[in-house]
Amino acid sequence: MRSKFITMSIAISTLAFTLSAQAHDPKEHMNNAEKPDCAAMENMDHSKMDMSDPVMQAMMKQCMGDMEGMEGMSGSEAPQGAKPAQHGNESSTEQTGHNH
Amino acid sequence: MAANKFLRCGKCLMITAVVAMLGGLAFLYSGLYPMGADVPHNGLTYWGLETMRERSISRAASTIEVPNDLASSERLLKGAADYNAMCASCHLKPGKNQSDFTLGLYPAPPNLAQKGDDHGHDGGHDDNTYALQRQFWIIKHGIKASGMPSWAPGHDDERIWNMVSFLQRLPELSTGQYQVLTARSDNTKKQEH
Repeated sequence: MRSKFITMSIAISTLAFTLSAQAHDPKEHMNNAEKPDCAAMENMDHSKMDMSDPVMQAMMKQCMGDMEGMEGMSGSEAPQGAKPAQHGNESSTEQTGHNH
Repeated sequence: MAANKFLRCGKCLMITAVVAMLGGLAFLYSGLYPMGADVPHNGLTYWGLETMRERSISRAASTIEVPNDLASSERLLKGAADYNAMCASCHLKPGKNQSDFTLGLYPAPPNLAQKGDDHGHDGGHDDNTYALQRQFWIIKHGIKASGMPSWAPGHDDERIWNMVSFLQRLPELSTGQYQVLTARSDNTKKQEH
């Protein structure tokens, strides 16, 4: 009887903890966000895009699907910059005058 | 003779201190100080609170270690979504100059879509590392009686650094860039799984 009570208490505590953790899951915020408007990016002059800029890289990641048909970018620009695993250029831009 | 003088002086000081303390207590209990957010502090109170806030944050934040990869696009993206969900209603976003919160809160929350020099809430420091430490500390711990909550419960340090990362680029973003970075894309979802 006592062990059943302890088991139930642990189960309820675990459930409560899990639910509270889910409440702060980043994905929950993402569910409320709207879809990215990538049309503006498609119309940009791609030759002038600075693909070493983390902001541009992040935008490329967001719009990767929409921009698959992009033309006019050199091989070192669109695909590589858009890949999440490659951030070779980022170290050079770390904390360089963007702080306030 | 000198000892008598010293004793008399000590007595005077003690009486003055007790009177000041009683006066302070009487003022507290009188309810005369206006507590409404629509009445600004007087200059002395504002200076006292601001000085205490900045000195306290400076002491507590100066030893925080700043990550090396703060400028990475991954941090930017993660921080962008959180900023939009948790901060933008008070600290605004590109193309927005005010909200109900900025109009009603006192002190008014700084517009973080502007550069530190423009919103005047950067702590008055030119040191970039300290600016990062300060932002991290404020997001993590919040500020008493200002409307700024502590985000530490439910948000680990990495997640807070992501927001700090996004804040570094926020003032230079256009409305279009902000929309793309803070939006939910299918690619973002794929990266999360």
